[in-house]
Order: sequence, then structure tokens, then C-alpha cells
Amino acid sequence: MNEESPRPPRGRRWLAYAVAALVALGLGVYAFRLLPDPAPGSRDSGPLLAVSLPDVDGHPQSLSQWRGRLLVVNFWATWCAPCKEEMPMFVEAQSAHGAKGLQFVGIAVDDAVKVRQFAKEIGLNYPALIGGYGAMELSKTLGNTVMALPFTIVIDPKGKVVLTQLGPVRPAQLERLVADFL
Amino acid sequence: MGAPVARAPALVGIALLVLEIGAAGAQVKLLPTEEAFRFSARALDARTVEASFAVADGYYLYRDKLRFSATPPEVSLGPVALPAGKVKEDQFFGKVETYRDRVVVRLPLDHAAAGQAVTVRAESQGCADAGVCYPPNAQSVTVTLPQAGAPPGPLIDANPPRKRWFN
Repeated sequence: MNEESPRPPRGRRWLAYAVAALVALGLGVYAFRLLPDPAPGSRDSGPLLAVSLPDVDGHPQSLSQWRGRLLVVNFWATWCAPCKEEMPMFVEAQSAHGAKGLQFVGIAVDDAVKVRQFAKEIGLNYPALIGGYGAMELSKTLGNTVMALPFTIVIDPKGKVVLTQLGPVRPAQLERLVADFL
Repeated sequence: MGAPVARAPALVGIALLVLEIGAAGAQVKLLPTEEAFRFSARALDARTVEASFAVADGYYLYRDKLRFSATPPEVSLGPVALPAGKVKEDQFFGKVETYRDRVVVRLPLDHAAAGQAVTVRAESQGCADAGVCYPPNAQSVTVTLPQAGAPPGPLIDANPPRKRWFN
């Protein structure tokens, strides 16, 4: 028989399958990336709000006292330059929006003497709690798996975790949070 | 005939791949401290251990936060000469020296004997250009000091790299 094969040569067919598989894989991965991170919204703020740490004067402060406010919990340290860089912005936001319900709380992976000194330097106008190295472990349980600083968690007035972020908070993010929740 | 048909999905595939890479670039993936700053050491001779850090691209260590110690305690470290770092002007810390890429430090040992196992501990602290810093971290390596005239011992990693299929 002199039948011509309607099918493309073997090599090319194989290539077509490979390309199709690649496209499918790409689409899958891309779609997965587009899905919003389910972690922040579904994470319970309960364990964090149950935390109580001493302030710079040694008085225990429970985070639950700020329930109902837009609470920005920022893990930082005096040995962390990017942490110190973003804090003046927090100070500004605290004085601008504090009356409306914005509340920053710093948890320092540090000792009280260094924290007190830096707080004075920048005119810190929100509570600085002393967590020591234990605060690093605490942040890990809250999603800071890399264990680096700064690490920030934002809890909305309803008690929902709305942001969990490793690395500096961008001014636009902060503006957005204020606009959305206050 | 077949070629243009096969080309279309290929182009889509490539486009998605480019998008993929773009998305990965926008979201910075940070390394855990032991992977950002890999500590290793080898015994050069019965009196010297060579300690080194392999610093991942985009990360740096602070020179003045680097500390070494050795055990057992009778093996004391002599004076350690840290190499000069790259001077970085820091808003808060002023002029600080940093190490990138690789830093190698010779640790002279006093009262050490050939064949002895010595544990070298390095304390370090560093940051990533992405805008995060890692808390002070200690890593240790145990080396066996070679006999006189023997070649240097093998380079030993504090945290041997793990194979990763998904990342």
C-alpha cells in the first residue's frame, strides 16, 4: 500500500505533546500564583492577642488591651537597620491616625536599655514591648518562618489578621490599611 | 503546515514562563540564616584552622559582629585578624564594614595537638539587601587537626546543603 501517513512525524508529535504539557504546567503554576495567599486572612489573631510582654519600664502589657483597634504589631530590634529605618514612618502614622483607631505596638527582639535609648532618639509615641530572643520564636509561630526582621502583623478592628509581612512596610501599604479599616 | 500550529502553543508557553519568572522576581524569597551565611572550616595544620563564610548573593555580614571561639577550652584562640570589609555608610550605625560573597579567616590555635578534634564556633550577624536582618547566629564545625607535614583536612560545612526539588 502506498498510503501517506496523515500523522506528523514522530519527533514533531512528541514535541507538540511536550509543549502542551509545558503550557498546562505553566497555566497551573500561574493560576496558583494568582490565588490570594490564604494564610493572613485565615490566621487567627487569638494567640497574638493573648501575648503579654513587659514594656520598657518592666510593666506587663497584654496585646488584648488594643483589641478593636487597627493594630500594627511590629517585631524589630536595635541591631536591625531596616527596622529602624521604617519606624519614623510608624511614629508619624501613629500621631496622624491614632485618634481614629490606629495602634502601633513594637515588640523588640532586644533588651530594655537599648530599646529605651532608641525610643528616645526617634521620639517613639507607641508602646515598645521587650521580647528578647523569645520574641523571635513567637514571630516564627505567627508566620515568620525565615526568622528575620522587621516582621509585621496587622490585625483589623474585628480581630482578623489582614497582613503578615517580612521586610519593611511600604508607605502605600500603610495608607491602604488606614483607608480600608479606619 | 504543522510548524505554525506547533509554534502557537510554544509561544504561549514561553510567554507564561516569562510571566512566571517576573512574578517570582517581584516576590522576594528570603533564605534562612544558615543558608544565607554558610559557615565552614578546615584544619590547615596542627595550629591553624581556616574558617570561612560563603555569603549568598544579595546578603552581607557585619565585620564587627563576627566572633570566633574554640573548644575544648584548653585550645585557646590566638589573636584573629579579620580581613577588611567593604565600607558601608549606615544611617544608624555610621561607617560599618561588611562582608559579601566570601570571607576567610585564619584562626591560630594555642595548646592544640595534632590529631585532636577541635570545635570552632562562629557568631555572626547579617542582613539581606531586600531589607531584612537576621538575629545573631552561632554555627559550629568540628575539625581534626592534621599530623605535622600532612595536608590540610577537608572543608567541613556547618550545615551541609540539602537537595531541594521544589523551591
